[in-house]
Amino acid sequence: MKLLGGLIRRLRMLFRRKQFDRDMDEEMRAHIEMRERELRESGAPTEQAYTDARKHFGNALALREASHESWGWSWLEHLTQDLRFAFRMLRKSPGFTAVAILTLALGIGANTAIFSIINAIFLRPLPYPKASQIYLVARTGNAFGGESISPAIFSAWRQRQEKIFAHLTLVQGLGESTTLMVSGEAENVLSMTISTDFLAMVGIHPILGRDFVTEEGRVGGPNVVMLSDSLWRERFGADPHIVGRNLTLNSRSYTVVGVLPPGFTDPTFSPTRAQLWFPAQVPATSSDPSNGGRLCFGALKPGVSVAEAEAALTPALSDLRREFPKMFRPNERAHLIPLREMLNQWAGTTMLLIFGAVGLVLLIACVNVANLTLARSATRQREIAVRTVIGASRGRIVRQLLTESILLAVLGGVLGIAACYASFQFVVTLVPANLPHVGAFGIDARVLLFAFALSIATGIAFGLVPALGASRVDLSGSLKESGAQAGARAIGGLRRFLAASEIAISLVLLIGAALALESLARLTMVKPGFDTQNVLTFAVSLPSQKYDTAAKRTAFFDQAISRVSAIPGVEQAAIIDTLPLREGSDILFSIEGGTAVAPAGQPLDAEIRIVSPDYFRALRIPLISGREFTAADNASGAPVVVINQTMARMFWPGKDPIGQQIWIGKPMGPAQSEPAPRRVIGIVGDVRESTLEDMPGQGMFIPYTQTKWNDSASFLLRTRAAAALSLPEIRSALHDVDPGEPLTQVESMEQVVSGSLNDWRFHAILLGIFGALAVVIAAVGVYGVISYSVAQRTHEIGIRLALGAQRRDVLRLVLSQGASLALAGIVVGMLAAIGLTRLMASLLYGVAPTDPVTFIAVAILLLIVALIACYLPARRAMRVDPMVALRYE
Amino acid sequence: MYRDEIPPGTLHLLILKTLARRGELHGYEIARTIQQNSEDVLQVEEGSLYPALQRMLVKGWVNAHWGATPENRRARYYRLTVAGRKQLEIELSQFRRVVGAITRVIQTA
Repeated sequence: MKLLGGLIRRLRMLFRRKQFDRDMDEEMRAHIEMRERELRESGAPTEQAYTDARKHFGNALALREASHESWGWSWLEHLTQDLRFAFRMLRKSPGFTAVAILTLALGIGANTAIFSIINAIFLRPLPYPKASQIYLVARTGNAFGGESISPAIFSAWRQRQEKIFAHLTLVQGLGESTTLMVSGEAENVLSMTISTDFLAMVGIHPILGRDFVTEEGRVGGPNVVMLSDSLWRERFGADPHIVGRNLTLNSRSYTVVGVLPPGFTDPTFSPTRAQLWFPAQVPATSSDPSNGGRLCFGALKPGVSVAEAEAALTPALSDLRREFPKMFRPNERAHLIPLREMLNQWAGTTMLLIFGAVGLVLLIACVNVANLTLARSATRQREIAVRTVIGASRGRIVRQLLTESILLAVLGGVLGIAACYASFQFVVTLVPANLPHVGAFGIDARVLLFAFALSIATGIAFGLVPALGASRVDLSGSLKESGAQAGARAIGGLRRFLAASEIAISLVLLIGAALALESLARLTMVKPGFDTQNVLTFAVSLPSQKYDTAAKRTAFFDQAISRVSAIPGVEQAAIIDTLPLREGSDILFSIEGGTAVAPAGQPLDAEIRIVSPDYFRALRIPLISGREFTAADNASGAPVVVINQTMARMFWPGKDPIGQQIWIGKPMGPAQSEPAPRRVIGIVGDVRESTLEDMPGQGMFIPYTQTKWNDSASFLLRTRAAAALSLPEIRSALHDVDPGEPLTQVESMEQVVSGSLNDWRFHAILLGIFGALAVVIAAVGVYGVISYSVAQRTHEIGIRLALGAQRRDVLRLVLSQGASLALAGIVVGMLAAIGLTRLMASLLYGVAPTDPVTFIAVAILLLIVALIACYLPARRAMRVDPMVALRYE
Repeated sequence: MYRDEIPPGTLHLLILKTLARRGELHGYEIARTIQQNSEDVLQVEEGSLYPALQRMLVKGWVNAHWGATPENRRARYYRLTVAGRKQLEIELSQFRRVVGAITRVIQTA
């Protein structure tokens, strides 16, 4: 209360400052006049009374200042004074101001943009009220990726969780596609399946309707579904009576039980959001050891430690190993990862590396503006000397100069944030589509706060050294000398050092960018093993309820392939379960009778893809030996398999595998095994199956007519050159087979290949942009230093010319000064780059982090840029007129 | 005539006490009262009264309002607040403690 009263009085004084000053003046004048009159009345002469009254009173101005200070606002008054003065000073040198603000805007803007991405990945709170209690329950020491959990593991864990977990939940079918029929229109919508207590675990409540109940999680429970907020709004017009309505999903009827809150995210934080949420119907016991796409999340009971939970779940894995010896490694352990840590791991360190790079850009910007400020402070020595003489303390002058640099930085920051807003859409399109993050990328309060704090810090960073240097003036020297000669020589050394540092830092960035761009270029030149030209792809996935047997699915694809083949311009039409360059699936198999390197019965693994006969021809994948599939290799024909060269070489070294038999799934036990072995009928060329950067592994192909795993496929249509396929034609061809099945993901094969490089392109482009920014800023820095030194040496150059030096000599003089500065920076930069590029080894392909060619080429490029930056002032130096130069001063 | 400077830190006390005894005073009256009551021994550097009064206004120990002097001049009058009265007591007891201590030191020395 007392404090508040004081604050109110102070604020009142602040807003009536003029009145306050008038009152003080009047009060003091009254005092002096009353004293004066009293003195006169007691007999003093008029003049004597006048001076005595004033002498007794003291320095009225200083007293008024002191009264001001009593109110504790002097800092504010000084600040407004400083700011007003700073604005005036900046307006007086518009060139300096513009260059400094632009440089800082580039640095702060780029940092803000990258921070907004960092923010969404690493900093934004997770969207679950109880996020801090939730763990990803995974296993270590596993060959298949310890995150995905089979139903067998989950049910074994659930039997042991009682005292350990408050909730143990399964999330599955990440991003699975579901066909939604609304008023006769089929639409593919992403869906996800979650345990019935998942929402309770994370602390989310539906905005409409209710949560799932336990019965809905039993096998054979009722068909229910929850909708995402966006689906509810967009497809159902935010119908308030949606709960209880029946929807046709995958040709079956489901009852809507609730609508999830806006922005509800699945626990993988994948950028593609599921729109439909089904309850996971988990059997009480399961012996299904397959791992596809299921994750386990749990929340511990109070007082239970992570180590206790891991110790409780690990024995279940040992038990399962006895049952499925081939599916589990000896030392598998349960492993709990906090949700936040999981997200950080999945997002990876690439973004942090890029953040580091953009931080270097800002550092160069700071060094550059510090350099410019130093140059200016040299010309302001006289002004500072005068202010010191009339009584300004050193602290006061440093504060004034710092106010100027912080003002510059804040102006730069404002411009940078504006630029960031303007270019934000572009930045977001660069971000790899699969980068997990929380909420949308955007410029929120935290990002703005970051930009503001960064601006202030930047202002202090580039302002402090020049301010301290400038405040230490040699008074008599500065006041005597005409202009800026005095401290300029000492400052010149510092400025050359700063310019050389700019060169060094930009060399590091440029080498990083060059390495990343080179990796990208090499990757685009990698031959994927197939011909990408004139191939169109699209995906179709069949709902399992309607197409419940392999025969029905085969019939659909048989007809669909023959329909699209008939479209004019189509040369070949084929299907594959997963396109090359998209992650496929691995399978365990064994070789009947064994080979020299793989004894009979040994579990082996290979990548498997399910294709139609024309697949190899459609992608122009060469047949090395044997034969391709034919229409006769169908359900009634003998089981066959085609393998790639790597697989042939790996398992049958020096032998011909044609005619050999392999048994797919046999090591996984009778339940998972195929009923009979397959005969190898052909060997095809290697293809980069999962990514362009990974060498092809061992892989096999089986006909879609001979497997039950044929519910979804990508079509590949090879067309005659220049034949543009019309999408409606394809759509109507498929519509003839089944009007309920939509086609999705229409792309050319070239787009598929290029899309697989999105991550690479993202960091190569960003590092390229930052490298280019750094070089431009450094060039401005070198130009500034050299042209300043030329201006200072005009007199000397004039004497040299008068004494008979050639213009060429002057040019050499200036250029060599610039070159020595650049070379010093380049040497230091090289050493730093050797240490730093190692950090980006994971971002490189086909080029070593210390690739000598890249290092030398970038160094030469930077040297040329530096020399060009010196050439402009050098030309000015050559044109010096000795007569004018000597008369100058 | 020789006059002593007032000891540092006691200006507040003098002003508070003066206002407590005399009620409402303007700045010149405060200065003159201190001078007269000390039989001209204590000399306030007259102007320094004003920053001190401002500090006391901030603290809420005194109130100020504009009024007219008997000679019909505009002047700012100061008056003690409740908080000011409390402060006077605090400062008085502090002052007595210090003076008492100093006196004892001097007498025993």
